[in-house]
Amino acid sequence: MKKILPPNAKISKEAKEIMQECASEFISFVTGEASDKCHKEKRKTVNGDDVCWALGSLGFDYYAELMKMFLYRNREAEGDKVDNNQNIKAAVSYTPFSFNVMPG
Amino acid sequence: MKPAGTYSGILSGGISGRTGPHLLPLARIKKIMKKSSDDVKMISGEAPIVFSKACELLIEEITKRAWNITVQGKRRTICKEDVASAVITTDTFDFLVNLVLDSANSQDSPRP
Repeated sequence: MKKILPPNAKISKEAKEIMQECASEFISFVTGEASDKCHKEKRKTVNGDDVCWALGSLGFDYYAELMKMFLYRNREAEGDKVDNNQNIKAAVSYTPFSFNVMPG
Repeated sequence: MKPAGTYSGILSGGISGRTGPHLLPLARIKKIMKKSSDDVKMISGEAPIVFSKACELLIEEITKRAWNITVQGKRRTICKEDVASAVITTDTFDFLVNLVLDSANSQDSPRP
């Protein structure tokens, strides 16, 4: 949480606890949907694709897209152990913000 | 519109030949998944990893929205009511509304 907040921001203990509960509920909610899909398709194992599908089905389209890309990269890395850094740099080369080093 | 930083962070942060360190414990994620439904029998290795990243996104989004509410109230500490308001005002977080309302209403919510 702190990573994306300004340095002067603080988070109460209760806020952290409720966030933890939200994350747990999110996992249960999405897993339930993914598990239903597996059950209908007579499969026993919930895999990453099922989770991505469930995210999209429940309205988290943006998350689903990102997770599909993440899974794809992960499988490539696991399968070939190819250095994907060049591909990732190419994919993210467009950034709206670029902070250039101040000239000396 | 989502910031490009989130996108690049997800793709680069977790990939370095193998998946990098995860912020959320995979064993606990797996436990929550198994508890969520009796139908969940087996879970692939990648599913908790996907959830770890997805939860990072969720936490990031709720935190940003909560912080906006905190700032509007001219405060610098995010309280649980800010988190609750952020959840209630976001349609995709409808499934969390009861949870945050129960938590906001209870005086002392016991930690499991």
